Amino acid sequence: MSTDKLAPSIEVNGVSKVYRAGTAAAVEAVSTVSFTVPQGQFVAILGPSGCGKSTLLMMVGGLEAVSSGRLIVDGKPMTGPRTSIGVMFQDPTLLPWKSALDNVLFPVRVLKRSIADHRAAANNLLQQVGLDGFEHKRPHELSGGMRQRVAICRTLIYDPDVLLMDEPFSALDAISRDEMNELLLDLWQQFTKTALFVTHSIREAVLLADRVLVMTRRPATIVEDLTVPFARPRSMALGENREFNEICRHLRERIEDGHGRSRAPRAGTTTRRHEAAR
Amino acid sequence: MSLELPAAGSPRGVLAIGRSVRRVRPIILPIVTLTAVLLLWQLAAVRLHIPSVLLPTPSDIAQEMWHALPLLVDQAVPTALDTLLAFAAAAVLGIGLAIVITYSRPLRDTLYPNLVFFQLVPKVALAPLFVIWLGYGSPARVAFAAFISFFPVVISAALGFAGTDPAVLRLCRSLTASEWRSFLLVRFPFALPAIFSGFKVAMTMAVVGVIIGEFISSQAGLGHYILRAGSRLETADVFAALVALSVLGVALYGAVALAELGVRRAYGRR
Amino acid sequence: MALLDAISGADAAVPNGRILRLVLLPLGFAAVMIALWQILCQTLQVRPILLPPPSAVWTVLRDNYAILLDQTLPTLSESILGFVVASVLGVAIAVALTSSRWLREALYPGIVMFQLIPKIALAPLFIVWLGVGETTSVVVAVFIAFFPIVVSTATGLVSAKPEVLQLCKSLTASEWQIFRMVRFPYALPYIFAGMKVGVTMVMIGVVVGEFITAQNGLGYIIMFAAGAGETATVLAAIVLLCVIGLGLYGVIGLAELLVLRWFGGEAPISGVI
Repeated sequence: MSTDKLAPSIEVNGVSKVYRAGTAAAVEAVSTVSFTVPQGQFVAILGPSGCGKSTLLMMVGGLEAVSSGRLIVDGKPMTGPRTSIGVMFQDPTLLPWKSALDNVLFPVRVLKRSIADHRAAANNLLQQVGLDGFEHKRPHELSGGMRQRVAICRTLIYDPDVLLMDEPFSALDAISRDEMNELLLDLWQQFTKTALFVTHSIREAVLLADRVLVMTRRPATIVEDLTVPFARPRSMALGENREFNEICRHLRERIEDGHGRSRAPRAGTTTRRHEAAR
Repeated sequence: MSLELPAAGSPRGVLAIGRSVRRVRPIILPIVTLTAVLLLWQLAAVRLHIPSVLLPTPSDIAQEMWHALPLLVDQAVPTALDTLLAFAAAAVLGIGLAIVITYSRPLRDTLYPNLVFFQLVPKVALAPLFVIWLGYGSPARVAFAAFISFFPVVISAALGFAGTDPAVLRLCRSLTASEWRSFLLVRFPFALPAIFSGFKVAMTMAVVGVIIGEFISSQAGLGHYILRAGSRLETADVFAALVALSVLGVALYGAVALAELGVRRAYGRR
Repeated sequence: MALLDAISGADAAVPNGRILRLVLLPLGFAAVMIALWQILCQTLQVRPILLPPPSAVWTVLRDNYAILLDQTLPTLSESILGFVVASVLGVAIAVALTSSRWLREALYPGIVMFQLIPKIALAPLFIVWLGVGETTSVVVAVFIAFFPIVVSTATGLVSAKPEVLQLCKSLTASEWQIFRMVRFPYALPYIFAGMKVGVTMVMIGVVVGEFITAQNGLGYIIMFAAGAGETATVLAAIVLLCVIGLGLYGVIGLAELLVLRWFGGEAPISGVI
């Protein structure tokens, strides 16, 4: 798949985020980050906690204002939230008084579309994520993994073009997390959407993404842009592949580099390995 | 990471001023509101010729406060003393009973539902009984105020003791700590926030209890003063006494809040 | 109430022994205390003006049934009216407070301050304004009951998880949609917790109102009988007040139970009154 021919879906151009700007307590959460994501590409943003990757994601989703720089999604500059962008959080953010099915239908309700038209699709999605029989259970009757599955369905029901996922599986136990990764790989085969996936798990990033961006803390910027060479469909078995582990080790080193240095080089020295074999 | 500070007068500088305004707004705004309400009240009362029996102007009330200040202080003393005495009794008895029902399961099962029951019924109705039993003096008021403020203390303290992290209690047992030591070192500190939230309710209830007692039985105190001034239609006097009573109520509540701060700091919490 | 809630929440599966302990033990204790009261009054020859035996209270309740009921009705209607007005007013003001940052910052500190002031002391003022009568009792009750409802509701309205609010924003939901679909439902358990406190406050307000306006109602009966030294009548009126108080509380408690069941999951708060 040659991604270059497709129109860019997300263009991030020199974007920074400064909190409490103009005061002595100013904090630069994101520092002149630039990258573009072509349509249909799955990009993981990898970095330690507190490096500003979630802030970056929220800016792409229009949920946080940009302090400086330009942010364009689907050819239009971001000015606020859009329904063509779906967001998933670390917390499944289900409404406790609604059943799984009603939680999936929540966006339909907010967007004032027809519930009747979407009910079948919602049931279908729940079935696909392995929740058939749980449609009428409420969140407190579901496990953490099941709740996050409902959240995935809720994001897919209104068919956004771009998916933003903010460490969606980091609150889950290791086994559920593996299951969710597998599920996401499966779903990705059917719904090819543009995706930004924030995580601090190296293996998760390499397993799921077409491309991994490594973010460091000081400065809060991208220090590595790596294309993952494995063809889809992928499976969990990829984790035993030697090349897979090589890539993981390389990424770990890059994160540690960014960590150890107090003054890392600016975006100019970012390494690019786009040419990796496909 | 060094950040260039924006020059004064630049858009960012203006933004920064806006931000510091926003920070003090929560303090300034209530004061401004209060001043505005008082001004409006004054203007309305004067312009609309509202009789001062119905609504005296704030300046009338202030004047009255100034004149009657020695008298008000005189009346506030018995009210404050009764309240403090009642609160102390409620606090000691309440915590004592909470400890008992924490450590004795049969007593807990027997008493706790009855305590909750008493918490729900309108206990103020019993005020005249205390007068019958203890006469028209201060003991009746103290006993009544202690009676109504005692329940929130028991219930919060019992909930606090019961809510102690069981893992820490297990740790104590594994260290073969005695019940008394694990109470002192674990249960009590754990229960402190709950105990103090009970104390805060109890203090406001104690004031209410003393005031109701003074309404129905007393020859002195702010409650008596308010009722008497009300019946004589000296409304400015009523307001002046209400202000004094409010100051007293807030001060007593503040004392509990301050004590909480001190105790929690002593236990190394926040 | 959390202890009791925990108990009642678990009772679906409790064996008979626990029901025995959790229900019969406290009831038995109360029965023993009443029996002891009766026996002590008789054996020690306590003067009935100081403490009449329970049997005397029962006699009053039975013989003066009609008169007492006559005085119970105004107290009941005042309590219900006071509670309804306090709830509607409290929730409405809380909604206004949380919908505007300016309003909130300007008024909320004042409302919290009012919580600390013995508001009951304002009762004589209401007599000056409204005269002696049922209106005064209701207004006193509303005045002291509505503050806890405002504070609790306002707390609830800002209690929705920030992530859920972000989700709504990402769906371009309007403020009204967010309020209707998220904020208000999240606040319901808090509203009911506030109402439970409110209901006990309403009773205090009504009784004190009747104490000092002395026109009719159970509070009036209590004051009147206490003055006449008819302590058994005082206790009979108190019993009826307790029935009203518990009845109202029970209705709210039941409604709360239904709301919490509808809410699902663990209750976000467990109110201690």
